[in-house]
Amino acid sequence: MSAGSSTIIPLQELAARVVDGSSLAVGGSFLHRGPFAFVRELIRQGRKNLELVKQSPGYDIDLLCRAGALARARAGIVAMEGNFGLAPWYRRAVETGQIRLEEHACATLTAGLRAAAFGVPFMPCGGIHGSDLAALNGWQAMADPYGSGQTVYLIPRIAPEFAVLHVNEVSEEGDARVYGTSHWDRILSRSAARVFVTAERIASSASFRAQPELTLVPHFLVEAVSIVPHGAWPGSCWPSYEVDYAAIEAYLDDARGTLEAHLDAAPEGRNVAHA
Amino acid sequence: MPEWSGFSYIVTNLARFIRPHEITFSGVNSALPMLACLLAKRAYPFHFTYINVAGGVDPSPSKVPISSSDPLLAEGSRAIFANEDFYDLCTRGRMDLCFLGAAQIDGQGRTNVSCIGDWHAPKVRLPGGGGGAVMLPTARRAVTWRTEHSLRTLVETLDFVTAAGGMHGVVTPIAVFTKREGRLALASWHPDASLDEIRDRTGFAFAADGAGPTPLPTQAEADALAALDPQAQFQHDAAIRLR
Repeated sequence: MSAGSSTIIPLQELAARVVDGSSLAVGGSFLHRGPFAFVRELIRQGRKNLELVKQSPGYDIDLLCRAGALARARAGIVAMEGNFGLAPWYRRAVETGQIRLEEHACATLTAGLRAAAFGVPFMPCGGIHGSDLAALNGWQAMADPYGSGQTVYLIPRIAPEFAVLHVNEVSEEGDARVYGTSHWDRILSRSAARVFVTAERIASSASFRAQPELTLVPHFLVEAVSIVPHGAWPGSCWPSYEVDYAAIEAYLDDARGTLEAHLDAAPEGRNVAHA
Repeated sequence: MPEWSGFSYIVTNLARFIRPHEITFSGVNSALPMLACLLAKRAYPFHFTYINVAGGVDPSPSKVPISSSDPLLAEGSRAIFANEDFYDLCTRGRMDLCFLGAAQIDGQGRTNVSCIGDWHAPKVRLPGGGGGAVMLPTARRAVTWRTEHSLRTLVETLDFVTAAGGMHGVVTPIAVFTKREGRLALASWHPDASLDEIRDRTGFAFAADGAGPTPLPTQAEADALAALDPQAQFQHDAAIRLR
């Protein structure tokens, strides 16, 4: 992967690298620090037939279902959260067969991603015993070959083509820094073949060198970056901004034109309009 | 003496499952357990470790967030103990008490959070697997809650077994169940309800020996909940009715 300023490209160019039919792991959790401007840009560009991989999607998967951009999902728990409950367009998409769901527990999806990150074809995962999810997904159980007597489920590798994360700060070279919880972003960045980052702002390379322990993803794992202030809107990006609940309530309106109005109201949408 | 509301009944009785010196966890989509953990920190005179899905470890949030996965729940935290960390903690047997959501619960304390109807052609697609399938069988104790106590939530047969292993406790607006010899048994009921009402509104058979009306909230419990929800906004949003 290249280092240097060519790593930083406009959001439109970044999203254009994800082609129709791709498998895409999306960072953040529910309404928090998701790369939501990136997801909206995929919709503006008319992307189709995507697969979403995420332990706890909500707004992002709902948006992709509503826009008809999604064909498949591998997910642990899906909800809008807050006081909004289920994700309505996702729910309808599964109930009508518009998308095909591979239902996971959050930790089984993580186990599959760990297999990819560790470079092995499957990964043991604790628990699962007695759950119908095992038969549903064809997960195999194996007796401990070293004789403990335990039986452990093995989750097949999950290797997304892309992971896209929204972070607080990046260096010019593409090092990515997160404040507060990393959600599942670390394992996503280690399991996907190509990693894209959107960031609130650029910070100096010197600041990364001063506190390398804050770096979640080093630049050599990152293919390209876009600077997208408020890129997690209408979700939160700790500690810069909180969830915009009014915007989510407006998005959940059933009326014709709501999706378009929502895309136009987004911070990056306004920037595009002004450009 | 404070009285129960449906809201205070669930939050406070969830909090009463928390024990001294243990590790207790609240997750996503879990405003009531989040409030229970914060209530226990204020109301009970013992130490326990509260970890949450935002990575917080005994946090001191400047306000109580609407979303139980909000990064506010890591404000003042001693560490960021994020998703992979607490799942691994649970599967290796160190999670003492885990609050996990459920749409349907059966008499063994197994849960369905996947679908109503057939999984492949669901009448209702529910949120899905989440923590349950891995945490319910591996946590030392897991406790769940339902804001609706009815024949469609407390069932004889689950539409889909998302998670097995068996809940240690279940709290509804009118009852508290705890596991006894592999089955959920009634521990106590809301003083405005009765054993007959609980039986009428529960889809599975249960033992009730030793059960009686739930002790009213203590002043400390009531004060803690009032401090966490001074405008009664959570109580309003939760919209919990006894019947």
